[in-house]
Amino acid sequence: MSSLSTTRALVAELRHKLGASAPMAAPERPVTIQPPPARIFPRPQQPPTRFAQAASAHTTALVGIGAVGTRYATDVVLQFQAELAVAHGAVATVLPPEWAEQNGLLPLSSRVTSHREFLLRPDLGRRLDDASSQLLRSRAATDVDVQPILADGLSAVACMGAGPELLRALVAECEGLGLRVGTPVCARFARVWLQDEIGQTTRAKVAVILLGERPGLGTGDGLSAYVVYEPAVGKTDGDRNMISNIHARGMLPADAGRRLARLAQGMIRQGVSGVNLDLSAIPGLDGAGGTALRAPQVRQRLVETP
Amino acid sequence: MSLLEPIYPKVLSVRRIPNADPALLRAYGADPERHCALGLVTCDQDDPTYVALDEATKHADVEVVYAKSFYAGSAHASGPLSGEILGVIASSDADEIVEGLKAIVRCLEHDACFYAASDDGKIAVFPHVIASLGHYLSKEAGLQVGDSMAYLVAPPMEHTIALDAALKAADVEAKLILGPPSPTNFGAAYLSGSLDACQAAAMAYAEAVVEVGLQPKRV
Repeated sequence: MSSLSTTRALVAELRHKLGASAPMAAPERPVTIQPPPARIFPRPQQPPTRFAQAASAHTTALVGIGAVGTRYATDVVLQFQAELAVAHGAVATVLPPEWAEQNGLLPLSSRVTSHREFLLRPDLGRRLDDASSQLLRSRAATDVDVQPILADGLSAVACMGAGPELLRALVAECEGLGLRVGTPVCARFARVWLQDEIGQTTRAKVAVILLGERPGLGTGDGLSAYVVYEPAVGKTDGDRNMISNIHARGMLPADAGRRLARLAQGMIRQGVSGVNLDLSAIPGLDGAGGTALRAPQVRQRLVETP
Repeated sequence: MSLLEPIYPKVLSVRRIPNADPALLRAYGADPERHCALGLVTCDQDDPTYVALDEATKHADVEVVYAKSFYAGSAHASGPLSGEILGVIASSDADEIVEGLKAIVRCLEHDACFYAASDDGKIAVFPHVIASLGHYLSKEAGLQVGDSMAYLVAPPMEHTIALDAALKAADVEAKLILGPPSPTNFGAAYLSGSLDACQAAAMAYAEAVVEVGLQPKRV
């Protein structure tokens, strides 16, 4: 007797009252209703084409990610959103004013006064404010070979992350090559061209600025390094050499420091930088300036999916 | 078959249309603006199915848009899957339909059924008590959702005598008396009142149906 039904219990009672003693027959097996199809579509089981495989082996770009129906697979979308969030978070981070001194660096600042102004006014980020200019003149060593500059750029996360390590590597490598290294400084709200004014003030032969690069998908911690010979306000991008993607999944800081020191040495020897620099004449750049494929980057999984 | 033995309903077919054509939706009383999915069920007992359809509205976001008994009952069905009723529930979500259909099957298996009112099982009685009405039967009976109701069905002679006994047995109000013949040649009634009153009336009804079966010609 099922206890699910009041009516059945009542009828059983009535039945007993009318003289029947045997229990009621049990119901037959019910109809089973199949559950609806799952709403999560499985990843297609067929492997990607060899073209997609070959392409995706050389890049972290979103190629060879497949499709489910007319859409991206769920894990691809989640990964994209997570990577975008990393980039947004990196841009929104502000370098704390006291960070430079805490890390033993000379604290400088551009003419920018707020983070919003920094994002909207690149021109202000390329010049030192008066106080910083004064500080640099009074405290920094002058007539040096290499002026190292650490800066926040577009990712204070990267600057605070691998920045000190890269700076240490650069200084050590330069000293190893017998170059005279200037006072390490840290510039806040800085753009690349700020190296011109700083290098000009310290009368350095070469200025190297290490700063957080514009975050891409999933890389909020990437650093770039720009090197210019005879820094002076008015130098253009054609006068600079640079290394990008300095982070744990790209070029390692130790490797980048070694290359930057060689680059600075080469500039001093050739007396030129930028497009006129002959990279092939500089030893130890591991084929920089050549056409060889670099080792592929490995995409970092931010989202765990089954 | 012994006295008051349950006569279990057989679910003959259960199907679902996840995205029905608007013309079909309109024809079966659904609103294409609000509904897209239909659930269909046929059963060899109509009145338990009406109760089960009502049950579905309590368990899922579905509306009973169509429920009609077939002429002369399942003994004269148009096919093996026809039985004596087609019930249709509609929803904007195909998953709700599945939940609704599950509730219907569960109710038909465990709750609503006819009972044999004679030893040979040839007289059937449906003295069903619904403790809490759903959206469908409450509308049909003109009652509120959550009210109690006795849903009483028996063949014409038995129904008439037993309904009188039921109305006199407890403090109940007849909301609907469907005199014979219904499409299946039965008589039916909806009685409302407190749950206790509905239960007392339903059992008085069942007892009277049995009594009429035993003494059909006692004047």
